[in-house]
Amino acid sequence: MFRFPEGLYADIRTERIDNACFSVQNGEVKQNSETSVSGAIIRVYDGKMWYTSVTNDLESIQSELDSLASVAEPDPAIADHPAVKLYEVHKDKVLHFDGDKDIRKVTRPQREALLNGYIEKCVDPDIPEIKQWYASYFSTHSVKEFYSSKGAEIVSDYQQCFAGIWFDFVVDGVTTSGGKYYGSMFFDDLKGHEDGIIARRDRYLDFAKNAVDAEPGGCVCVLAPDVTGMFTHECFGHKSEADQMLSDQTLRDEWIMGKKVGSELVSICDSGDMFPHRGYIAYDDEGTAVKETWLIRDGVLTGRLHDANSASVLGEDLTGNARAQDFSCAPMVRMTNTYMKNGTTPPEEIIAGVKDGIYVYNVQYGTGLSTFTMKPSICYRIRDGKLAEPLRVNVITGSVFQTLFDIDAVGNDLRFCDTSTCGKRGQSMPVSDAGPTIRVRSLNVN
Amino acid sequence: MQREKITSVNTERTMEIEETRIKSFDKCSRINHSFRVFDGEYAGVQFYQGIVSDEEGYRQAEQNLALKRPYKFSLETGSRCRDKTEREYTDREFMDTVREMLDYLSTHYPDFTFGGSVQTRKNTLSMQNSLGLDHSNTDCILEAGITYKHKDSKDLFDGWFDLGMRDYDMKKFKDMADNYLSCFNDLVELPEELIIQQQYYSLLDKFHDCLDAENLALGTSLLSGKLGEKVFADSFTLLHDVSDKETWFTPFFDAEGVVLPEDRFVYIENGVMLSGYADKYTADKYGVPHTGSAGLNMADIPYNGSVNLKIQRSEKTAKELLGGRLSVVPIRAHGGGYNDKGEYVTPVQHAMLCDGERFIGRLPEFAIKGSMFDIFGKDFIGVTSDDPIFNDKNILVKMSLSV
Repeated sequence: MFRFPEGLYADIRTERIDNACFSVQNGEVKQNSETSVSGAIIRVYDGKMWYTSVTNDLESIQSELDSLASVAEPDPAIADHPAVKLYEVHKDKVLHFDGDKDIRKVTRPQREALLNGYIEKCVDPDIPEIKQWYASYFSTHSVKEFYSSKGAEIVSDYQQCFAGIWFDFVVDGVTTSGGKYYGSMFFDDLKGHEDGIIARRDRYLDFAKNAVDAEPGGCVCVLAPDVTGMFTHECFGHKSEADQMLSDQTLRDEWIMGKKVGSELVSICDSGDMFPHRGYIAYDDEGTAVKETWLIRDGVLTGRLHDANSASVLGEDLTGNARAQDFSCAPMVRMTNTYMKNGTTPPEEIIAGVKDGIYVYNVQYGTGLSTFTMKPSICYRIRDGKLAEPLRVNVITGSVFQTLFDIDAVGNDLRFCDTSTCGKRGQSMPVSDAGPTIRVRSLNVN
Repeated sequence: MQREKITSVNTERTMEIEETRIKSFDKCSRINHSFRVFDGEYAGVQFYQGIVSDEEGYRQAEQNLALKRPYKFSLETGSRCRDKTEREYTDREFMDTVREMLDYLSTHYPDFTFGGSVQTRKNTLSMQNSLGLDHSNTDCILEAGITYKHKDSKDLFDGWFDLGMRDYDMKKFKDMADNYLSCFNDLVELPEELIIQQQYYSLLDKFHDCLDAENLALGTSLLSGKLGEKVFADSFTLLHDVSDKETWFTPFFDAEGVVLPEDRFVYIENGVMLSGYADKYTADKYGVPHTGSAGLNMADIPYNGSVNLKIQRSEKTAKELLGGRLSVVPIRAHGGGYNDKGEYVTPVQHAMLCDGERFIGRLPEFAIKGSMFDIFGKDFIGVTSDDPIFNDKNILVKMSLSV
């Protein structure tokens, strides 16, 4: 199909992406669009560095490949390069969304009917505090093809859709924004969530009316499952991405396999092979079949996430975590579906064990370095083992080196959040975060 | 039937840096088109990526009139071309520039490892319509975004610095690196009076919500009901500014082709709220002036929300504004921001003590707090007339320590 150059490793990834969007704000249609883009990234590796080119012109792939090869420095022994040796060679076609499940077959009237149904049932004009609302539907479908000079030929597809409503509540001149979006790989899964949206709407309304400011300082925090998911992703997940520690001896020593890094209640896993969760992939963007990787088992460091380069440098196995946002980007080490393993304690018992603390119900986003952060939306005071008044908390922080040890209860209510997006070095990536309710002895609240 | 076409041509070359070595040399070139047709009541819009004929683009746009996307406004006219390109680097010049950067960093700061990327970027955004409008805006830069990590640090990285210029001045790059790195190991204490010195863009986030004319009208802005009132400091003037001096890839026209007088629009003058921002649709709906604020949606009609907010500079340098005091410069301040009430809190994971121009030493981790009304009110010291530290405007503002 392609004429790959001698003395170089090369791969080609083409992608066609079809998006659809329908949104309504305060009763006015704000967007109703369908877009299609296609393109390719062509990469050449000479054992020292990569040369890549991104193009929308699929007819030019061979000439781009030839052009890149002309500036690289061929190495007759490239096949023996440690990273190149690791690249897997699969010939496979994994198309989950052929036929009736193809999101591109959802028509404009079907999208509008879905959203208008939610608007009719969930936007209540008799709630005076609702000053604005936004209802949105978004879907994306992509088909990728991957070819390498080692002989890989992989075709795979991916799709996601979302729908929900966001509200602006104004109480005493302060606007509180919140709502609920549902995400799935299948359109039919977006149906029938009226009760969930209304419940979330009413929770935010109660929060807007009654929330008080939290006292800054350290306190016991109980994290709801969605929050544990983000905590797992931010607090530990990013530290497990091996491309950030290649030859850094300090980090290698800090994150040495077998080291105890947290409470024995804590086990964390990343697995791209969890269809149909949002972080699912059949193969990563280097053509590696995805695997289940236990990062922590019973508080002990047992694995980390790799692309071929980091695996070769650190002498570890491939994990299938080289991912790229789309055809315009080169892959780097990313999480897929990352979760903290279920525990055995009912969540009610976990809350009941707190005399004075904070229950973090949901969060907007987080960041993950040694001091990780989470920006909550809704929190509640825990007083004498029971949820009390809603609390406004601006940011929660903790040290990754300490917090994993401070987890003293893990619930039995594991839940996946399939609406998460992870950002790293300018690339956004669909991921799934998951976890059960957990209790942390102390986090810093501001 | 009127026609309008917007074309964006973007060319990028990136050298990714990993552990102080060049990891990759990447080239990317993309063309995007938005074809629009107008029948006086509705607009049909079609997005295309790549090469496409006008005939095909407008044909699809006409089909999309059936979607009845409302647009009843007159199209703009006028003709202007702005090209801010000062220098275009060949591949060889670009590679040599990056190698010189890495040579300098690895030679002078061997205790650090460096990552990030260096990029050249050129974008031309053009707009033409059947009434004769013909606008074109081009910008072209070389920009280095360098992360650094000390060999003893247990963090993935400690901080970063960015320097983008149209004609790259390597001396400024080296000077910036020296400032960030030479006193990294000098640990110092926080001063009693906490004066934050930083680029101001993240602090202006809240204004994007609060100045939206729709939010102002519906009461969902913290500034609703305050038009004509003195809300902020006398020295605080906030404006949209896409003039030749202030532009950085920001076109002089908005997504409806509107060009403002002197390329500016003042929203808050000397602390007094003057106006919100509105595209033509929002202006018509709420009976307010439109402010050239239409954002570009290549696949649909414009939306309200394109503002390039700038704070008017004072006539004093950073050192003059500090008057002998020391400032605190957050380098890495992740995870915080404003809450619904306009209160600002953020953890600061890495910060430097500064005399206004040069760093003095590295500070311990802390958290800062303030409020939107104080940051730009009683605690606002000013925006510098010079561009120390970031090769860009600095804001100086008092804040408090949080726990």
